[in-house]
Amino acid sequence: MGLVDCIVNWGRIKSPWILHFNSGACNACDIEIIATLTPRYDIERFGVLLKGTPRHADVLVCSGPVTFQVEDRLKRIYEQMAEPKFVVAVGTCACSGGVFKGCYNIKGGINTAIPVSLYIPGCPASPKAIIDGVVKLLESLEEKEGKE
Amino acid sequence: MIYLFYILVFPGILFLSVFALAAEFIDRKLYAKLQNRIGPPWFQPLADMIKLLGKEDIVPTDANARMFKLMPLVAFTSTVTAFFYIPIWGERSIYYFNGDLVVVLYLLTIPTLTFFIGGWYSTSLFARLGSVRTLTQLFAYEVPLFMGILSSALIANSWSLSEIAVFYAHRPWFWVSNIIGFAVSLIALVGKLEKAPFDIPEAETEIVAGSFTEYSGRHLAFFRLSIDIEMIVGASLLAAVFLPFGLEFSAPIAFIFYIIKVLFIVALIAVFRTIFARLRIDQMVHFCWKYLVPLSLLQLLINLILKDILT
Repeated sequence: MGLVDCIVNWGRIKSPWILHFNSGACNACDIEIIATLTPRYDIERFGVLLKGTPRHADVLVCSGPVTFQVEDRLKRIYEQMAEPKFVVAVGTCACSGGVFKGCYNIKGGINTAIPVSLYIPGCPASPKAIIDGVVKLLESLEEKEGKE
Repeated sequence: MIYLFYILVFPGILFLSVFALAAEFIDRKLYAKLQNRIGPPWFQPLADMIKLLGKEDIVPTDANARMFKLMPLVAFTSTVTAFFYIPIWGERSIYYFNGDLVVVLYLLTIPTLTFFIGGWYSTSLFARLGSVRTLTQLFAYEVPLFMGILSSALIANSWSLSEIAVFYAHRPWFWVSNIIGFAVSLIALVGKLEKAPFDIPEAETEIVAGSFTEYSGRHLAFFRLSIDIEMIVGASLLAAVFLPFGLEFSAPIAFIFYIIKVLFIVALIAVFRTIFARLRIDQMVHFCWKYLVPLSLLQLLINLILKDILT
């Protein structure tokens, strides 16, 4: 990996901007994600900022199972994001479909619609678990840098 | 050769970019500290910039690609150009002529217009709403800003920033007469920089990111950098006109004074950002025309009377 790639990868690790998307959750995970963004946990320490538009975001934080209604929207938002992009599935429902698995209107976990980089289980996942997950995602980027 | 050095290194692009990123860090760190958090590390604005430069550039299919790509560069160029006429290490800037104050104010208006044009040509609904709000806000803050700054030029009897700096440096207590003008211009500058409480054009809870909704990658990086540089240039302009301290010393000490003055204004802007919530666009326009414009007229009157007494 050349010097320029190293510097760009460093920038990516230090400045993940996130976009929060509810793909059909019961709101518990959403409240926990919002709690993660409050001054109490202060994830701006890691450079994380919440952005309103998919064009600015690097990490798509999804919560909840994918309903058939929301599937197209989720895919479209994923396609609107600029490369390189990562998807984090927060909560048991987002990981596998959870208690909603097999319902008539549910497709399944986030990975049935778009590729997922990281799963954070929990019902709901606590803010500490979410921060831990995001840090692990960034560490995996660092490892990738070492391998190449 | 020396011109190339002026443009590229000092006080041109390199110095301005470093200073602007440092000012963004101070702004964000102070904002975090005032909210009782730890805040971002010192390299955060640089990391954001590098990451955005390394990202994919997306141009929407319906957008006018040429205008969409050109606007961030125009914003960047005009803010950097405006900086050459502002005195930073003493009483004189590198280039000065009678009337450069008007040129600086004109060059500082261009970024706002590029936000409008860039947002308009990206053909997104949110971007267009943001663009229209940008222009509406422009009509509200531009008049008090111009009147506040030009009224202090009136008493100095010159429209050259360097001449104004010389005038005030030799009459140290005259800045007291311009305090109303300073307050009005500072509030108007917050409107120009689109920071809270006047961040209506990019209100992320209402219209996602305003004019910048469709921007990504390099173009967004240049827009962000030009907003940071605009903050520096605006603060330098206010410092040169309203805070004429330390100009009589030799160049290095005057330069340190200049840095302190600019950081003081940046800190004031961060405090405003923390303690005020966002206004609605109609409240903002009402506030500017009902309170700021009469106050700047009062400042104009005071300076006219003072000038009459003095001469």
